[in-house]
Amino acid sequence: MTILGTAFGMAFYLLHSVSGESGYAQNDFKRTHLFASLKLQICSSPGDLEDAEPDDYSFSCYSQLEVNGSQHSLTCALDDPDVNSTNLEFEICGALLEVNCLNLNKLQDMYFIRTKKFLLIGDSEICVKLGQKSITCKIMNIVKIVKPEPPFDLRVVYREGANDFLVTFNTSHLKKIYVKDLLHDVAYRQEKNENNWMNVNLSSTKLALLQRKLQSGAMYEVKVRSIPDGNYFEGYWSAWSPSYHFRTPETNGTGKMDPVLQTVSILSFFSVALLVILTCVLWKKRIKPIVWPNLPDHKKTLEQLCKKPKKNLNVSFNPESFLDCQIHKVDGIQARDEVENFLQGTFPPPLEESEKQKLVGGVQGTSWPSEHAVLTPETFRGDSPLRCLPGNVRACNIHELPSSRSPNCRDDGKNWSRVYQGLLLSPGTTNGALLPPFPFQSEIVTLNPVPQGQPILTSLGSSQEEAYVTMSSFSKISEL
Amino acid sequence: MITLAYSYLMLDLVSFRYIFGIPPLILVLLPAASSDCDIEGRKGNEYEKVLMISINRLDNVIEIGSNCPTNESNFLKKHSCDDNKEAMFLYRAARKLKQFLKMNISEDFNLHLLIVSEGTLKLLNCTGKVKERKAPSQGEGQPIKNLEENKLLKEQKKWNDLCFLRRLLEKMKTCWNKILRGAKDP
Repeated sequence: MTILGTAFGMAFYLLHSVSGESGYAQNDFKRTHLFASLKLQICSSPGDLEDAEPDDYSFSCYSQLEVNGSQHSLTCALDDPDVNSTNLEFEICGALLEVNCLNLNKLQDMYFIRTKKFLLIGDSEICVKLGQKSITCKIMNIVKIVKPEPPFDLRVVYREGANDFLVTFNTSHLKKIYVKDLLHDVAYRQEKNENNWMNVNLSSTKLALLQRKLQSGAMYEVKVRSIPDGNYFEGYWSAWSPSYHFRTPETNGTGKMDPVLQTVSILSFFSVALLVILTCVLWKKRIKPIVWPNLPDHKKTLEQLCKKPKKNLNVSFNPESFLDCQIHKVDGIQARDEVENFLQGTFPPPLEESEKQKLVGGVQGTSWPSEHAVLTPETFRGDSPLRCLPGNVRACNIHELPSSRSPNCRDDGKNWSRVYQGLLLSPGTTNGALLPPFPFQSEIVTLNPVPQGQPILTSLGSSQEEAYVTMSSFSKISEL
Repeated sequence: MITLAYSYLMLDLVSFRYIFGIPPLILVLLPAASSDCDIEGRKGNEYEKVLMISINRLDNVIEIGSNCPTNESNFLKKHSCDDNKEAMFLYRAARKLKQFLKMNISEDFNLHLLIVSEGTLKLLNCTGKVKERKAPSQGEGQPIKNLEENKLLKEQKKWNDLCFLRRLLEKMKTCWNKILRGAKDP
């Protein structure tokens, strides 16, 4: 308006200079000029028009390819919603098939078009037109302003075996031919934390969220959106998909064990405990003899044969302390033939216990003739000295048994009777030779403390029959 | 005076020949010797993401099997994707594609045909106009005997055209691959 006023003023001055000679014209001209200048002043005074800024017709657009079959869409909108959009039109020219330009249709505050005629190569010009006049234009490339369709069918599944949450969703772009490759943004948060969104970018439609990274027993919200991957097709983020809500399972402090695993672990514990107890109990009697068997020891075996002496064992070499024991003296040793004859008549094999006792008793009670040598099993013991025949005895070695023997002579006689019987019945005597209870003519049984397992009779003389005391018979004896 | 005027006339004629004779000849010969096309899509994104998709779609539409004649068409005999002539070949092939719009096979067919044709021309950005020889029409002077023969001829022509189209698209794909390969391997 200022410029217009100035132009008018200059025009009036020019007119004045051209026709300034006429008097009455001068007055009229002056009056008109004054009026014009006043008008100019009025017009140029500060008002709404001068300070009024031009309408902002800036706009933005986005495209969606194959939104309906093979049809594409273009949507534009003015950035300033307050702009009077009456009679405004949008037009796109360039990069079109068969036509030069296309007009967009108006829908409320937006302008859009749906067409197949986008070439998808090269730039287009989009203009805002008021009538036939273009107000503002922008150069855009349809493939650089692509806005994908939002994903859908968002689901979250808890996988107990993997201890994670599998997030899956679908997108319509998987079936399209142009914009197939998208970048997805999965956002999730705990519902009580309103603005604490966690984002994960991925190119596939599946995502696994680890359970340990989420809080147990909490409600979560998840949503997803997409954008072109940038390889030729570019653009904007799509709208968010509908949210999906899920709850994470509760987890105990120690963790819930599988009941089968729990049962197996309890049974295993008790089995191991029972095994340990049985091992401790049966170690000495059953397990150790098998694992670490004891080697045969003659001394121990001998000790086992004989009873342990009583505590009040009275060991003495004083003959007066053995006054209670019956001492049978050996008056002499009878000749062998007589002994054999005697034996054949009185000792049938096998000897019975009772007969042997009688024999022993007989030997004890009766007094043999001095010519006869009587050697009872008792005499082997040494509690009573052997009766040696003064005549025929070559050697008469009397060895007392160790002091472990008790002065109770009768009790030990039983043991010796058993020993004697065992010796009689030993395999070494299979030839039928019986071990005579009496020594042979020339030898007297010597009693020496021998190791366990070895035969007590060290020599049997040069008799025809020799009896062998084997280790096996001895071990049998030790078992007794 | 007469001699002088004659000499001037002869000089003018010679000048006239050189002025008005040779330059037009040069102008006529220049387009055949030089290429005014500048290939913009050498990176291959436009071809891979748009053109190749449409070419494949056209191949799917052209379901004629392998019964096409083995002899090369006249167009392909004259124009080939030789070295330094790739752009010109693609330019001519793209313009040739537009002739198949008349077949009017389907809307989808026409759409992809236009994408390949217009897209190729857009990428080539040829500035000079290339004169295309008008293909001699076949059978224009032959009288049509009857409707059945006419129909048969039309079918035969359509089949021949489809064979030629398929062959042309193959050549275009090969030529584009040659251009892109050359762009990757300098």
